[in-house]
Amino acid sequence: MSRKDIMLGNEAIARGLVEAGCEVAASYPGTPSSEILPAVAHWAEELGTRTVVEWGANEKVALEYAIGASFARKRSCAIMKQVGLNVAMDPFMSIAANEMDGGVLLVVADEPGCYSSQTDQDSRALALFAKIPCFDPCDAVEAKAMVFDAYEISEKYRVLTMLRPTGRVNHCRQAVECGDGVIPGRPLEFRRMPEGHRILMPMTMRGALERHNRRFEELRREFGTAFGKYNFEVPAQGPARLGIIACGLCYAVVRDVLKALGRTDVALLKIGTPVPLPLDLVQDFIGRHDSVLILEETFPVVEQQLLDRTKVQGRWNGWVPMEWELSPEVITSIILRALGEPAALPAWEATLEEARKALQLGRRGPRLCPGCGHRPSYLAIRKAYPDCILCSDIGCYGLAIAQKAVDTNVCMGGSITVASGIAMAFRAEGKPASRPIFATLGDSTFFHMGLPGLASAVYNKHPFVLVILDNGITAMTGGQGHPGVGGKLRPGEKSGSVDIEGAVRGCGVTHLVVQEPYDVSGSVRVLKEAWEHARTAEEPAVVILRHPCITMLKAPPTPRPVRVDPDKCTGCRYCLTHFNCPGIGWDENTKKTFIDRRFCVSCGVCVDACPRDAIVFTGEEA
Amino acid sequence: MKYIVAGIGGQGILFATKVLGHIALGKGLPVIGSEVHGMSQRGGSVISHFKIGDYQSPLIASGDADIFLAFDQSEALRNYHFLREGGQAVINVEHPAELAHPRLQDYFRQRRITLHALDGLGLIREHLGGKFLFLNVLILGALCGAGVGNFSRDEMRQAVGELAPARFREENLKGFDLGYGALAK
Repeated sequence: MSRKDIMLGNEAIARGLVEAGCEVAASYPGTPSSEILPAVAHWAEELGTRTVVEWGANEKVALEYAIGASFARKRSCAIMKQVGLNVAMDPFMSIAANEMDGGVLLVVADEPGCYSSQTDQDSRALALFAKIPCFDPCDAVEAKAMVFDAYEISEKYRVLTMLRPTGRVNHCRQAVECGDGVIPGRPLEFRRMPEGHRILMPMTMRGALERHNRRFEELRREFGTAFGKYNFEVPAQGPARLGIIACGLCYAVVRDVLKALGRTDVALLKIGTPVPLPLDLVQDFIGRHDSVLILEETFPVVEQQLLDRTKVQGRWNGWVPMEWELSPEVITSIILRALGEPAALPAWEATLEEARKALQLGRRGPRLCPGCGHRPSYLAIRKAYPDCILCSDIGCYGLAIAQKAVDTNVCMGGSITVASGIAMAFRAEGKPASRPIFATLGDSTFFHMGLPGLASAVYNKHPFVLVILDNGITAMTGGQGHPGVGGKLRPGEKSGSVDIEGAVRGCGVTHLVVQEPYDVSGSVRVLKEAWEHARTAEEPAVVILRHPCITMLKAPPTPRPVRVDPDKCTGCRYCLTHFNCPGIGWDENTKKTFIDRRFCVSCGVCVDACPRDAIVFTGEEA
Repeated sequence: MKYIVAGIGGQGILFATKVLGHIALGKGLPVIGSEVHGMSQRGGSVISHFKIGDYQSPLIASGDADIFLAFDQSEALRNYHFLREGGQAVINVEHPAELAHPRLQDYFRQRRITLHALDGLGLIREHLGGKFLFLNVLILGALCGAGVGNFSRDEMRQAVGELAPARFREENLKGFDLGYGALAK
């Protein structure tokens, strides 16, 4: 008996993968894609499949897992966020022109609006770059359905196939049908193949490229003729005053906006397979309308595949903004403007804005959790060397920008190599570094892309201190395992683990100290010794500041409750600007800080954060 | 019916929309909604859109929500614009003076918005040993107590009981009843 469950788009994609007979699924977590792989494990348990579900150390690893499983004729899948595809670009481009064996899907979640991303990318543009097919779902139900078709296409054309949801589709919640059947797995088969298959080398490209380009045009024809369920028209009632071509979430928003506006004089063409673009369908639609608006997120991927854009209102001529999400409000205003009926701002918006100004509504940015071990870690680094150059990385600890602690933050693993680059800049001046150089990254990020940078720094003798903020988990994305901690998603499966200290020593690091960051003065001492070593020996030193992620603790830590002594607090705000804990509040009336019991977890670490010793343990007063 | 639920990461907003979805699904109503996950959950602003009825997109446009549940007063101020004319808001209020600000009151009058305010944190301090985690069910109780939305007290209470982890079920129901009592006429 099939049933409907309310589920996230990510859970729907996962359900589709298991039902469609995916036997090997791999990922590295990253918002908004992180929930997919755990959901694959969940549905695989429910449906009783043997699906192998594993985190790779990074996205390149995950995609290569999927490629290997496809070579062995299994249906496979690699899952990542858009920034992750940058890490996986090498296998992605290398495998694009190849002929695959088992169906292989690349699920890559883009994030218009950059809620949890440092880049704005449209992975459909990379599908076009690689000349592979791409599906662009408008909601959770369609995302699940597309998984089955993507596997069909992948096997029919023997091509890596992309499913590209955007964050709003990943995190939409909708009733989705749970089928009870599973497409049976294929028996493993690894036949030896002629040159040009699986062996990707310069001499095998001749023939492969021609085949690849031919395949792309065949896909375009098939998308234009056999995919009416994803590419279809919603006609106007009577003559259309405007045509709209919309992809993904934009299609769903346009439907609701037109309904809310009560417009029936707009014709809509939905495109669910934007790469390769079914040109005949699209050109025919454009030909039948005086002007056509194109709404897609976030790059003009459909728009730029058109041969003639003279009738098109899109990004090329400024009708559609180049930045940020196409929200219902933005789409409403674009449509009204295109219809020649721009709407004035309603008066109440100005009133509300005035109220917000009068009440001084500020931005509420994300912050490290109360009790997080990263917070005292950064306090200690800045206490040891207020003037140091601190290169951080991608993870929760990037939030330490709110502690005035971080100077650079580029990409996964970039802390180590940017610190190296700064050390090289000092070297280019012909004198030792006049400021201490620190790099900070987490345990999961260390295994993701930290190791090559550390090995290179040892090789080139770069003087800096690498601080590994080891909280024993991939924290920012919700607590996934990684090579340093082990843990697998299918119940009962065994995992191994890599000792971080061993890995650091194996890279050739001679100065390595492990320290508890809750002990701030101890950390300051250890960090100073490490920099002294790095500076004098001219090589990287490593400090591991190890404290378990507060969100992963089974039992609360021993409480060490504190209070602010109002007689000692001078209102200097140092604890707010350099410690920045949600558990410390600011009282506008007294101009002093106080402990906000709504958030404080009584870790007691802030006692070290006050330069006036105004934060005191309550237990010591009695 | 379109709901906006807003608050701060860690306040259990996603659980609140899960409860709404659970009831709607049980009644066979079509639902679609949108959540923000990831970095925003680290103590940042969190907003959840939830629509019951014949809709295609998970997002609610500015000026279009029927009901607004605000777990935090400044997140309320950040998101009032979602409410339609004549919409209703259930708000956890810590600073009544801010809610009484004349320009804000002007806005409520202009848009004919009905406010249902309660001191959720005060109630939790007094009756639930300061366990602020139960604010979400308290707000759901208040929603029913105020007689707003499409769900009865019984069906909401049952859904809270079914979805809460077993060891917190009693406290969740207590929080729900506390919220209901605060706004029931």
